[in-house]
Amino acid sequence: MIEVRELTKRYGPTLALDRLSFQAHPGRVTGFLGPNGAGKSTTLRVIVGLHGPTSGVALVNGRRYAEISRPLYEVGALLDAGAVHPGRTAFKQLACLARSHRIGTSRVKTLLEQVGLQDVAHKRIGGFSLGMRQRLGIAAALLGDPGVVLLDEPVNGLDAEGIHWVRGLMRTLASEGRTVLLSSHLMSEMALTVDHVLIIGRGRLIAESSMEDLAKRFRRDILVRSPMHVELGGVLRAAGMSVSSEPRGGLVVTGSDTATIGDLAAERRIPIHELTQRSATLEDVYLEMTDEAADYRAGGRRSL
Amino acid sequence: MTLQTAPSRNASAETTVSVLASVMDVAAAEWLKLRTMRAAWVVWAGAAVSTLIGLIIIMGHVGSYDQATPGQQASFESADPAVAVMPLVAFFIGTLSALVMTTEFSTGSIAPSLVAVPQRRTLLAAKSVVVTCVALAGGVLFASLSQIGAMLILGDRPAPLNPWTHWWEAVPPAAGTAVTTLATGLVALGLGAVLRSAAATVAVIGALTLVVPMFAHVLPEPVHLWVASVLIPNLAPQIAGAESAYLLAPPVAAAVLAFYVVVTLGAASLSFSRRDS
Repeated sequence: MIEVRELTKRYGPTLALDRLSFQAHPGRVTGFLGPNGAGKSTTLRVIVGLHGPTSGVALVNGRRYAEISRPLYEVGALLDAGAVHPGRTAFKQLACLARSHRIGTSRVKTLLEQVGLQDVAHKRIGGFSLGMRQRLGIAAALLGDPGVVLLDEPVNGLDAEGIHWVRGLMRTLASEGRTVLLSSHLMSEMALTVDHVLIIGRGRLIAESSMEDLAKRFRRDILVRSPMHVELGGVLRAAGMSVSSEPRGGLVVTGSDTATIGDLAAERRIPIHELTQRSATLEDVYLEMTDEAADYRAGGRRSL
Repeated sequence: MTLQTAPSRNASAETTVSVLASVMDVAAAEWLKLRTMRAAWVVWAGAAVSTLIGLIIIMGHVGSYDQATPGQQASFESADPAVAVMPLVAFFIGTLSALVMTTEFSTGSIAPSLVAVPQRRTLLAAKSVVVTCVALAGGVLFASLSQIGAMLILGDRPAPLNPWTHWWEAVPPAAGTAVTTLATGLVALGLGAVLRSAAATVAVIGALTLVVPMFAHVLPEPVHLWVASVLIPNLAPQIAGAESAYLLAPPVAAAVLAFYVVVTLGAASLSFSRRDS
């Protein structure tokens, strides 16, 4: 389990994390979502001790990371796939990390096969694509078969097959009872992968929710299409619903649900061609929630 | 895709791993890193070439000696490889030692290294073990090679050109230069941890081993002797107790050398453990 309490990190005048608190529990994939500059990477770097907090505490399984002897057996982290020596081969890169924990080279070979790098295991990393480096980074994170896995933007640079593989891997790791904390700035990616989402902006926690609840909270209206839309509009209004027309001839209804609308139309023998419950897309939700917290955006920096 | 599970570990046993065993495991990992760093082999080649060039210079010096008159021969400088060869070797070994630390910062691989070994003093200690072994081995190797090469070139030519009457007289100076080479390596490692830049660290090591000793000669006496006596390359003959113009007794010279190492590694320990990486 990962627990972050009142974590604050200041770089000179810049406040990167502002009393951030959250928990990531075993058995589920927790998404750590926020726009660029929100503090996601900083938080992960503080958790694994690369950066010291200005105040607050980050604990992994109840201990500060630096207190863990041979941490690769407890925690695996992919923070920056490019942070490797380009002249070293993939095999040697993993072997160097493995040797510090007395992990054998057979485990290195197995992991390289699992991430699909067995054919380039003895090639220098300098010639690898970003996707290949991501796979290597994921292999490094899994070296010690850890119970806690932190991955910072792991699908960056991956092709469709690779993205599908990472999603499956995250689900597998969580189903095995591991704590998985996955950071991304892509809500669409999170929607397909995570169980629980933490949304941060400007170093603060904006929202925390299950993905399901998040989607429910932003349900909007119902779109109805019918060749008898004038008659149907009258029926629905008579039933107390709010009805408006949309440009392509459909009706936009609020104040009811799809079952009631379907029943009313059936009673009056009005054919229905489409009946859709519309929600804000998760992307919309995310943009709405982080609007105030985005540090950097196209068209110049937002004024405070 | 399913993951194969690594052998399970006893958590309580893990926490009782001794610090020494941990340092040695991390040192083994650091040794593997050094072996797989191409730049390291380039630096070793540089040390070998500089030894060869130093011996060629000695050969030229001996050639001039042979063509000189007996009067001129009596005032010839000694053909000592500790002066002609070892400062350059120490510079290359220092560069190699600096790379043990600075390469990690320049490539960003310090992050995975610290994720694996978050106890920063343990990581620094492991790197120090590797540098100690490599710098001492390099110092002994190149000091021995250059002394043997110089002996073969000098043959039975007398003093002052020949610094040794018997071969065993070459052993203490060789040991002295090996020790100063080791110290140069550790100082470079410490500076690398503080400066985090290969270029800056190599520049400082170049100044300490080559530039400052050269320019110390322009200082007026007795300032020149005071300054020259505490410079790292000049501590070698003083530690060995060899005949030289410098001022320090062997124990004092050894203490000065140790001071360099303690100060730089102490600064490295503070900087490495306190700064964000």
